[in-house]
Amino acid sequence: MNKVNSPKIKRESKNRIKVDFERTNWFKRFRLRFLTGTAISKGLTWIFRFVLLLGISYVILFPFYTKIASSFMGREDFIDVTVKLIPKRPTLDTYKAVIENQGYLDGLFGTATLSLVCALLQTFVCAIIGYGFAKYKFKGRKLLFALVIFTMVIPHQTLRHSMFMRFQNFDIGIGDFGILKMLGLNQIELTGSFTPMVMLSLTGLAFKNGLFIFMFRQFFSGVPDELEESAYIDGYGPFKTFFKIILPISIPMLITVFLFSFAWQWTDNFYVSLFGIIDNKDIFLLNEIQGIPGILNVKGYPGEALFTAAVYSTEAILIMLPLVIIYLFCQKYLVQGIERSGIVG
Amino acid sequence: MTVVTKRRRKVARKRGKIVSLDRKKARAGWLFVLPFIIGLLLIYLPIVFDSLTYSFNKIVPLKGGAYRLDPVGFENYQKALQNPDFTKVLIAGVKDLVFDIPAIVIFSLFVAVLLNKKIFGRAAFRAIFFIPVILSTGLISEISHSAMAGESYMGSSGTVDDGSGQGGSGASQIVSMTDFRWLFQNMQVGGGLLKYVTGIVNDIYNIINRSGVQMLIFLAGLQSISPAIYESCSIDGATGWETFWKITFPMISPMILVNAIYTVIDSFTSSDSQIMSYISRMYGDVMNGGGPEVSTAMSWIYFSIVIGIIALVAALLSAYVFYQRRD
Repeated sequence: MNKVNSPKIKRESKNRIKVDFERTNWFKRFRLRFLTGTAISKGLTWIFRFVLLLGISYVILFPFYTKIASSFMGREDFIDVTVKLIPKRPTLDTYKAVIENQGYLDGLFGTATLSLVCALLQTFVCAIIGYGFAKYKFKGRKLLFALVIFTMVIPHQTLRHSMFMRFQNFDIGIGDFGILKMLGLNQIELTGSFTPMVMLSLTGLAFKNGLFIFMFRQFFSGVPDELEESAYIDGYGPFKTFFKIILPISIPMLITVFLFSFAWQWTDNFYVSLFGIIDNKDIFLLNEIQGIPGILNVKGYPGEALFTAAVYSTEAILIMLPLVIIYLFCQKYLVQGIERSGIVG
Repeated sequence: MTVVTKRRRKVARKRGKIVSLDRKKARAGWLFVLPFIIGLLLIYLPIVFDSLTYSFNKIVPLKGGAYRLDPVGFENYQKALQNPDFTKVLIAGVKDLVFDIPAIVIFSLFVAVLLNKKIFGRAAFRAIFFIPVILSTGLISEISHSAMAGESYMGSSGTVDDGSGQGGSGASQIVSMTDFRWLFQNMQVGGGLLKYVTGIVNDIYNIINRSGVQMLIFLAGLQSISPAIYESCSIDGATGWETFWKITFPMISPMILVNAIYTVIDSFTSSDSQIMSYISRMYGDVMNGGGPEVSTAMSWIYFSIVIGIIALVAALLSAYVFYQRRD
């Protein structure tokens, strides 16, 4: 047995040898490698896992696919029963009608401006606040942080009426004790413009900013203190340290939060209607493109229900499109930023 | 020697230049959180105070956009609680919430564990799984809802429910009760659990949509577990199952607490939730005993219930949470 398997060494020349050995035949090698219990169970779990992920991805992506497919369908496709998932007479008419008649480009401009301004402000302000909570010990820190969580817990719908009243007749202070009122000045009407949104963003109170502050706090707690100490020794002050040392190393986290705040502001419907930005004639937002363009005359058309749905889907796609593009660029950082944040305990 | 230092100290105090490092750091800390403090004191707390005030008053509009507040005590709260629809929606909503929390937390943990393993196309899967975080909110979900009315005719979307929580007709369900009945028959469990499981499976789209941020948080937690622990575990001959329950689960348990609380907050503050949309509807509906004051009172009642749920969840879970001692 031993003799058969042991390699034969032949000396070919002075400093060359040839080693000859019998290899185990391929079937035996295959059996030993792949037909053992562990290998099979490993392979099965791999397949199971892959199929599961594939299935869930399908559930996520399918609604988007039906939207996209129906947005390209021609009018006849909605009556044709044989058309299900793939448009037979592809056309861009629906897109044309929505873009030209519903004021898509104006809406894009308005929403992009609002979202960009708010998202930049929110990212920056939340980073500063989160850094303060993470790295400095001062009296009342715990109470203040509890209040941050508190702003996250109270739904803004609860504050709907009072928020509207506050920004309609803006004043600092409570009731009759407002500063402007005591000075004998008129209260300012801030609704109908971007001002309330900007004010909320500047103070870290806008939609889900509590979450952002929490994320930043966790992220900055993970940054080693030595980094700042060496910066202090080099003569940097706290703010210079923050801007020159801390911000550059936290770019993945900044992009993550920017992505969240941008996307949530982009799709926001609550605040823009609460603050009357939608009602303002000068500002046109994407929220206002909803509806059926008159040019697509749907009355009396047999496939009306489906066609209406397709038009709404088209509008949804057009609203999503810029977000998807930004997401594709940023998603690499999304996981990176979260991974590095090490949100633990 | 001592005299000199004393004198120096005195001089320094006169100039007011020596501030201890701790004080300096505390001051910088206040400066960093200053934007939040300003907003909190000047905007947020007054708004909360106003909101509470409105719920105890009747708003009488005066000429020129001004208004007068007439105190009515607990009348708004009584009106809210006497409204039969509100109590019905409230109980249904809270029940849904309690059932959804475990589903969402378990699902997102499960997916996070799957996504954390090395697998073919992991980057692509991650990109797909976080799409709902970006795209399933506010405006887009609203438009989709109005589109869904027609889309359900298509029939082609056979397996996918629209996520509106209606459960759908027989055709649009992934599994039916009968499929599961034989599975549960031998287990001697009641029909309640059966209904719960089929409900979750059919509502999977909704659950996926709502568990994006939770997945991210779990993934971050999983990444932070040191690989050395897993290594020593596998050397000791632990199986994957044991490793999960003995290592991963305790290490991730703080995240479970965070996620459970986040899920409660997220699902009750989202405008998609039944109660929130009901309260929003009552906001303008003065005819059916609604109006801004009653609507505000309703949302405060709801808020206090949810705070109770959060406290309960936190108390229940924190008994089991394991904190790794960090030096």
